[in-house]
Amino acid sequence: MTTRQARMFAIASTAIAALVFLILTVHSHTRFPALTNAEAITPAVVAGKDVWHRYNCINCHTLFGEGAYYAPDLTKIAQLRGDAYLTAYMRDPGQFYDERVHRRLMPKQNLSDQEIADLIAFLSWASNVDTQGWPPRPILVATGLAAPGAAEQPGVTAVPTRPVSPEDDPIAAGENVFKNATPACLACHSTTPGVNLAGPSLAGIASRAEELIASGEYTGEAEDAAGYIRESIVAPSAHIIPGAMYSAGGMSFMPATYAESLSDEEIDQLVAYLMSFR
Amino acid sequence: MRYQSQSVAYWYFAVAIVLFGLQIVFGLLSAAKYLGPDPLLDVLPFDVTKVIHTNLLIVWVLLGFMGATYWLVPEESRTELHSVKLAYVQLVLFTVTGVTAVIGYLFRYGTGNKLLEQPLPHKLAIVATMLIFLYNVGMTIRKAGRFTVTEGVLVLGLAASAVLYLPALFEFENYTISIFYRWWTIHLWVEGVWMMIMGSFLAYLLIRLSGVDREVMEKWLYVIVGLVFIAGILGTAHHYYWVGVPSYWLPIGGFFSALEPVALVGMAAYAYFALRRAGLSHPNKLALHWTIGSTVFALFGAGLLGLSHTWPAVNRWTHGTLVTAMHGHSAFYGAYAMIVLAMITYALPTMTRSPHEGESYLGYAAFWLQIAGMFGMTLSFATAGVAQVYLERIVGLGYLDTQLKIQVHFLMLILTASIFAIGVGLFIYDFFRRVPLTEVAADEAVELSASGEAQPAG
Ligand code: HEC
Ligand code: HEC
Ligand code: HEM
Ligand code: HEM
Ligand SMILES: [Fe+2]
Repeated sequence: MTTRQARMFAIASTAIAALVFLILTVHSHTRFPALTNAEAITPAVVAGKDVWHRYNCINCHTLFGEGAYYAPDLTKIAQLRGDAYLTAYMRDPGQFYDERVHRRLMPKQNLSDQEIADLIAFLSWASNVDTQGWPPRPILVATGLAAPGAAEQPGVTAVPTRPVSPEDDPIAAGENVFKNATPACLACHSTTPGVNLAGPSLAGIASRAEELIASGEYTGEAEDAAGYIRESIVAPSAHIIPGAMYSAGGMSFMPATYAESLSDEEIDQLVAYLMSFR
Repeated sequence: MRYQSQSVAYWYFAVAIVLFGLQIVFGLLSAAKYLGPDPLLDVLPFDVTKVIHTNLLIVWVLLGFMGATYWLVPEESRTELHSVKLAYVQLVLFTVTGVTAVIGYLFRYGTGNKLLEQPLPHKLAIVATMLIFLYNVGMTIRKAGRFTVTEGVLVLGLAASAVLYLPALFEFENYTISIFYRWWTIHLWVEGVWMMIMGSFLAYLLIRLSGVDREVMEKWLYVIVGLVFIAGILGTAHHYYWVGVPSYWLPIGGFFSALEPVALVGMAAYAYFALRRAGLSHPNKLALHWTIGSTVFALFGAGLLGLSHTWPAVNRWTHGTLVTAMHGHSAFYGAYAMIVLAMITYALPTMTRSPHEGESYLGYAAFWLQIAGMFGMTLSFATAGVAQVYLERIVGLGYLDTQLKIQVHFLMLILTASIFAIGVGLFIYDFFRRVPLTEVAADEAVELSASGEAQPAG
């Protein structure tokens, strides 16, 4: 090979690769609107993106897996956590996490309510972008599984269960849904007494529900324990468990998406499973 | 030093390594925050220390590139620089831009995407200084009328770096599109045009340090450039897997980025054969350490560790974890920090008067401490990252719970980073205990005969 040939090789390979790359780039632009729901990019979403940049969120968090590795990925956070929770959290993260427990905390960002609303619009838009199935399983902020005492408890490990089959007992099937629904119930609820995570422990929920309905403090429409559990799943705000960690302004922090994302059968199975905790 | 104007390089190098030292301080601060709790949470939180850490890196490496270019171009073109004054003006402008940007970050004044956080006025100033720089270098070459391949590849790489910075000036309403173009700057820099810069510094150093024939080196330089771009341009797609782009980028990114290490193998082989065929012909063995070290570490950090997570089926799990930091550190250090340090080490004995004779023990200590430290840091990030992938992505533990379980790797990170930091400190000390020369030294005989230019191929 001569120097001339080597030079031709360098120029030609660069030119061909660049050409192919440019053609694919142009083609990608024709696909962006559909893949990213571009019509959903409202002024609020754009404003939220600017807030995202202004407060340097990218240098602690990742979004679409890009950024820094000091804080959790936020690509799907708006699907995992409702608006009410996110608003309350961003006003003051210190109310929800303890630096002494996790050795890390998001500093208070002094965001205005408008900025928070825009951020949530932006994060909601981001959560609907087609990311080719990434992340492969939901990235949760804290499962509480490493909390003192929790790890030793049986039944709290988040290992996927065996495959479900139609012959399964509804309770077993319900346990599977509990672990694998999106977002997983297990992410917020333990079934261990006293281990309250983002939601209350569901240990003993069946008896507790009966007492609650009998007590007169109950605000929903259910007539029995099973009905109460069903209602808690499909309409979390119908009755609210007291606690600043659990709700704000009459809105439960539990996602209100299950009525749609779960089938009737799955909800039946969940009810059966939870009714088993007496 | 054969040309008096080469002495501007000293000041570029001096600023560059001071900022290198500062970068390390902010790196250590960031790593300490992994361990937590953070007493500075409300004063100097992680996002601020980290953005300063990475931006200082870019600023000092670019200063190193420019200084090394001002050193190399007069020698290759056999002339004085077009304008020494302009070179100093440019140095001041670039340093002020970089330093004010960093100060701005302390107050969260900074916008935009990862690694491109510079505020718009700073971005424009960066473009302006790049233009001054390219003008000065271009005029020098034009006036000399002599233009080597090494120099040509270098200048093209620098000009292309400036061009590829331009997408960073635009803002897109669609975050996916801004990610798409962010990589035109970042990826096409580090896995494209900066490789041209590295390759030409490597050619320059090998021609001077070994007795190898220039013709041969420059021919292979072309081949390496070709290999870089065949793989590197379409390899950009390894950043497009999960960000909202069409799915055909997955196989394209996987295939072409998997070819990227070929060019890095090429560079290491290049250095190896230069020495095998022509042997050593220069007294500056320390510079040779840095030169060979750079090709080997780049092959390890960029080639091997890059390859380890570049395939979509793997990246799906490792994306956005500390595994990326493992690769980012070893690749950036091996390829770009080390090649700049190699140029500095090569130029230093002839641009300064040393208070001592012979080889510098300190210089070797700096080299080995940095290598050992960075290797340890890479392992710490790697073990932390793999554990993170397993616990967070496979077992399904929460992010915070996972981080708590991998604290021991953060301890290891801080320990090895401290070893690295000592190495950096020694390098800086070794640099500044010398006195810069402003005159061309009378006795350049050794260096001239060692340049290898007149010797036949070995
Ligand atoms: C200094 C680093 C840092 C910065 C800057 C930062 N965060 Fe966080 N963020 C964290 C950490 C750490 C967590 C984990 C929960 C905790 O400890 O508070 C977190 C958690 C979150 C969560 C998830 C909370 C949950 O319970 O699901 C959201 C949403 C969030 N951050 C949004 C943002 C937004 C929006 C910004 C920019 C305005 C931002 N963060 C800036 C560190 C940071
Ligand atoms: C993001 C966290 C979160 C997820 C995920 C979640 N919940 Fe909840 N859940 C809560 C919170 C917070 C409350 C308490 C506030 C309220 O009353 O709605 C709650 C309350 C409940 C209650 C009433 C508890 C009681 O003590 O009366 C039930 C039952 C329940 N959830 C079931 C489920 C099931 C089943 C799933 C999965 C399909 C699920 N939750 C998923 C957060 C969550
Ligand atoms: C004492 C030495 C160092 C320490 C303790 C250190 C620590 C860190 C930390 C904690 C981060 C943040 C990672 C995150 O986002 O969570 C980081 C990022 C980074 N550092 Fe360093 N660093 C050091 C030296 C260096 C050197 C010498 C280089 C390059 C030559 C470098 C290049 C980078 C890069 C490129 C990133 C961004 C990585 C990514 O996002 O994947 N660092 N560093
Ligand atoms: C000298 C050359 C290289 C340098 C300096 C370098 C540096 C970096 C840095 C800093 C990042 C993090 C970027 C960010 O998230 O903003 C990164 C990501 C990445 N690099 Fe490299 N790299 C080099 C070469 C390579 C090579 C040759 C490969 C493949 C064989 C590779 C594969 C990857 C992949 C797959 C990612 C994405 C990780 C993720 O986010 O999932 N890199 N690189
Ligand atoms: Fe890349």
